[in-house]
Amino acid sequence: MRPLFFTLGLMLAGTAATADDDVRRAHYNYQMFCQGCHTPDGSGAGDVPRLKGQVGVFLNSQAGQEFLVRVPGAATSALDNEQLAELLNWIVREFAGASIPANWRPYSGREVGALRKQPLKEVIRYRGQILADIARARH
Amino acid sequence: MKLFDSLFEKRTRQLAQCSSRRGLLKSLGGLLVGGAAIPLLPVARAAAAEGAARPLEEGDPNSCDYWRYCAVDGFLCGCCGGSMNTCPPGTEMSPITWIGTCHNPVDGRHYVISYNDCCGKSSCGACLCVRDEGDRPPYRPDKANDISWCLGTRSAAYHCTTAVLVGVAFEE
Repeated sequence: MRPLFFTLGLMLAGTAATADDDVRRAHYNYQMFCQGCHTPDGSGAGDVPRLKGQVGVFLNSQAGQEFLVRVPGAATSALDNEQLAELLNWIVREFAGASIPANWRPYSGREVGALRKQPLKEVIRYRGQILADIARARH
Repeated sequence: MKLFDSLFEKRTRQLAQCSSRRGLLKSLGGLLVGGAAIPLLPVARAAAAEGAARPLEEGDPNSCDYWRYCAVDGFLCGCCGGSMNTCPPGTEMSPITWIGTCHNPVDGRHYVISYNDCCGKSSCGACLCVRDEGDRPPYRPDKANDISWCLGTRSAAYHCTTAVLVGVAFEE
């Protein structure tokens, strides 16, 4: 029995280390590709949109969920699909706070790979439209 | 005097009878080893946790070949009345910045460095440093250092560049 517990313990420790690595990699990718403009705590600055407490609002509609992948900074980033999905999920969990909807479904590499093939050429007006649609659906 | 002599002799003999030299060595040894090990544990762990993002340093922060400046293109704030982490008086640090990694030759690790420009005064003109490692063309604007990063500040006038340590780079 004892070796079994020992093996189980080792397996659990292995899983924990991998999950921890994923978080560290996502945070590092945020620092390298996002933080320069969105700032370390996601507050944004000047014309740079605020992620903190806000980014989850987009996840209330399909177009909004797609928007976060199709914005140029995400869609055209140097990250592969899996790491981009990991980073987007990290951003949502780290910064969305109360704005995250209860039924949110995290991004998968496959979903991200399909969406980033249609990067947005015009962002600001489309963003406003998505947020207006979400606000209207809520009332 | 004799009284003292006899008193000390008596006490010394008593001590010699009640204790052994090995016993003294044992307790002294225990004290030394235990004393060295016990306080070191939490202290060493705290130091290790703190040191995770604190690099071993060597070199002159006002010299262009200092390790943190591997991707700088501009004037070093340390030569302009500020430091590698702070802006000179009368300038404002841009919250929007370009970020890269530099290899620290002393501890062999890569660190994430944020090149925050200091803005609000005309160019400093001292310690021009152009190293450009990892610099990318402007079609990758987040990794291009030819553009002025005085964005999000009241003034767009570029003065000098800092090199703020953000963390340790992730390595698979």
